[in-house]
Amino acid sequence: MPPFRLVVNGAARDVDAPAEMPLLWVLRDRLGLTGTKYGCGVGICGACTVHIDGRAARSCQLAVRDAAGPRITTIEGLSPDGSHPVQRAWLEEDVAQCGYCQAGMIMCAAAFLQQKPHPTDADIDAAMSDSVCRCGTYQRIRRAIHLAAGSAR
Amino acid sequence: MRMTRREALRVGSLSGAALLLDVAWSGQVAAAPAASFRPNAWLRVGADGSVAITVGKSEMGQGVRTSLPMLVAEELEVDLAAVDLVQAVPGPEFKRLRTGGSGSVYGSYAALRKAGAAAREMLVSAAAAQWGVDTSGCRAINASVIHGATGRRLSYAALADAASKLPVPDNPRVKGAEDLLLVGRPTRRLDGPRIVTGRAVYGLDTRVPGMRQAVVARPPVLGGSVVRWDATRARAVPGVRDVVQVPSGIAVVADDTWAALQGRDALDVTWNDGPHAGFDSVAFRRRLAEAAQGPGRLSRREGAGLAALASAARRLDATYEYPFQAHAPLETMNTIAVVARGRCEIWTPTQAPEQVRDEAAKVLGLAPEAVRVNVTLIGGGFGRRLGIDYAVEAVHVAKAVGVPVQVMWTRPDDMRHGHFQPASAHRMAAGLDASGRLVAWGHRKAGSYLSIFPAPSAADMDDPAHWQDESWGAYDIPYAIPAIETDYVLVDSPVPSGPWRAVYSPSCTFARESFLDEVAHTSGRDPLPLRLDLLEGPSPVTIGGLTIDRTRLRRVLETAAAKAGWGEPLPKGRGRGLAANVYDGDTHVAMVAEVTVGGDGVRVDRVVAAVDCGPFVNPLHIERQVESGVVWALATVFFGEITIAGGRVQQSSYGDYAVPRLRHMPRVETHILPATVAQPSGIGEAPVPPVAPAVMNAVFAATGRRLRRLPVRAADLA
Repeated sequence: MPPFRLVVNGAARDVDAPAEMPLLWVLRDRLGLTGTKYGCGVGICGACTVHIDGRAARSCQLAVRDAAGPRITTIEGLSPDGSHPVQRAWLEEDVAQCGYCQAGMIMCAAAFLQQKPHPTDADIDAAMSDSVCRCGTYQRIRRAIHLAAGSAR
Repeated sequence: MRMTRREALRVGSLSGAALLLDVAWSGQVAAAPAASFRPNAWLRVGADGSVAITVGKSEMGQGVRTSLPMLVAEELEVDLAAVDLVQAVPGPEFKRLRTGGSGSVYGSYAALRKAGAAAREMLVSAAAAQWGVDTSGCRAINASVIHGATGRRLSYAALADAASKLPVPDNPRVKGAEDLLLVGRPTRRLDGPRIVTGRAVYGLDTRVPGMRQAVVARPPVLGGSVVRWDATRARAVPGVRDVVQVPSGIAVVADDTWAALQGRDALDVTWNDGPHAGFDSVAFRRRLAEAAQGPGRLSRREGAGLAALASAARRLDATYEYPFQAHAPLETMNTIAVVARGRCEIWTPTQAPEQVRDEAAKVLGLAPEAVRVNVTLIGGGFGRRLGIDYAVEAVHVAKAVGVPVQVMWTRPDDMRHGHFQPASAHRMAAGLDASGRLVAWGHRKAGSYLSIFPAPSAADMDDPAHWQDESWGAYDIPYAIPAIETDYVLVDSPVPSGPWRAVYSPSCTFARESFLDEVAHTSGRDPLPLRLDLLEGPSPVTIGGLTIDRTRLRRVLETAAAKAGWGEPLPKGRGRGLAANVYDGDTHVAMVAEVTVGGDGVRVDRVVAAVDCGPFVNPLHIERQVESGVVWALATVFFGEITIAGGRVQQSSYGDYAVPRLRHMPRVETHILPATVAQPSGIGEAPVPPVAPAVMNAVFAATGRRLRRLPVRAADLA
């Protein structure tokens, strides 16, 4: 198996894995970064969302060979201490229920706010509707994103 | 005595509470390390003054790891954040650990408060003895005891050793409602920081040394089995370590998940499709609707029952239909099992750890004491994890391969091999007298028993109590109507089924509250005063094993209607709908939904809920559970349906089994009514049943169309 050099949360990590192995399983099974979740494996639930060079990407849809090179950020690396404005807003609004989808939601929201720092409700609906929360935390997600946008001002 | 379905779902809380009392209030201090003490099995005060509680409930989003510590922190006068949590492991000390029936809080409320109060009194007594003063002059505050007259102060750490030698008080004084500082106030969850940083460890994130990953190939047809298999190609996949047959199928065990998945894809299995290869859910739903027209087994009769319809001036009839649905929690089923040296250890996201232990012991031929079950954080339960199939399967795999193994279900595995919410049909009949008054009511449910429970016995067949138990929301109609008859037609089904959120109530309440709306419109009455009038009668009333308090139900109806602006005009294309329910005889909920119906279908704009669940611990949790219940129920109204063709479940993921997304989220407003009773009741399930009828009644108000079949499809509105 060819070794791939990944840059994960600012550190270089060499991984021996089949080239087509999805980044999701590399993160979870090889690098011990279990904050990135498996939800569907086909890119329709958003639980596995990470940042690739600052943009949201589904790690279940990205082969490790294509993940070598760019900066990969997982929920564990979004901030050193949970102090990213989105994380703080999530705590303030007490968004989570079971919490399983929340890492993906937070990664989506953080990348989205980079692109659109002051979103409307409609912007949020459009940007965040590719992710599934089965507990139904959506109302609080909306509020938390507005809050994070405000605090980033 | 027969255990009813209701009891089976609730057993954790009721027996759990009883156990707490047995263990705790014998006046004995359980064996504990010197200088720490345990006023009961669930609470330990350490020699250093630290406080740890053992949580007997599984955390699956209902906030139990916050609300239960709140109860102890309140009485013990310690900082909430300082309370450590230990997840209970089933054993002689911790029994009946089931999490279900919305019982996490009400099953622990009295016992945990009493435990905290007992510990507080012991610490206060220890301080008073040390100072040679009366306890009445001392009070506990902020993990210390203070002597009011002299201002002397001793920390719990300084007192724990002395307190540990005192007897546990039999009847410690718990705080009155007016003294509560924490209970009843919105409190953010303690595990929030772990969740938002990705450090919360769910079942699927759990790792044990030497662990391998496994996936199982299961028969595509319900009830199918393996005929033969060839793993030559699977074993050739790099990383695949073993391929073994287990009762549920063929397990591929590998170094990592990806290798296991590749190995499973490379398996060559010949399946026996078994007896259900012709099963078709569309035909089955037709059969249910037909069966609902025939006679059923009586669950309740008041007055003349259905015979009263004959003398009614006007009669209404309708049939409502409810689909098969999947729990589809975001964390798929998974379990780690290790079997070695006559012992077994399991890590699993389960709502039923003791059942897992007992069944694992059976599989392995071990005593239950040789099996340790660690309950992990759960990524969505909803009743799916009251089934233990996935945990037992992992034990089989671990037994076969002899190394620690984590069995993961993929999303398609999870979608196709669940135990589903069964489909049902509801035949409704109502009789109005000449003045338009509702005088007769019939509700016949045609459905199937939940297959993870035992089949009804011969004695059950003619026992109304049994059929009541299968039709919550139908037989316990809370309204005062002179003649009522409810019955049940049992239709055999090969589809694995089990409890889900609110169990039998969502389908029955959908039919009941929608049909009552039909009665209102037919008799030219506003649905709100119609309901309020029907709740005038005697209160409380006993219906089957439940006590229904009509006064509380009136109160939530009036509150929801007032907050929603019931009766205020809306623009064309918009409508409001109302529904109410008493869930399980306890929690009273009314909802008003507001919808817009346009070219792109139905948009639910707003849901106003009024809930009365007695004294509440954390209003933030209650609001979240209401929001959650709304989304859960909207999934059943407009989104998912499990269909089965040729015995195969046809859905595989959130694409073909759609669920609401953020853009579908209505504005949900929750109004929690002040308690009028002493005991709290559950909130995890109660918000679900009124949602579908409130929304469908709003669609009727907006369009004049009565939709009686879920899920609603675009064609139904065309």
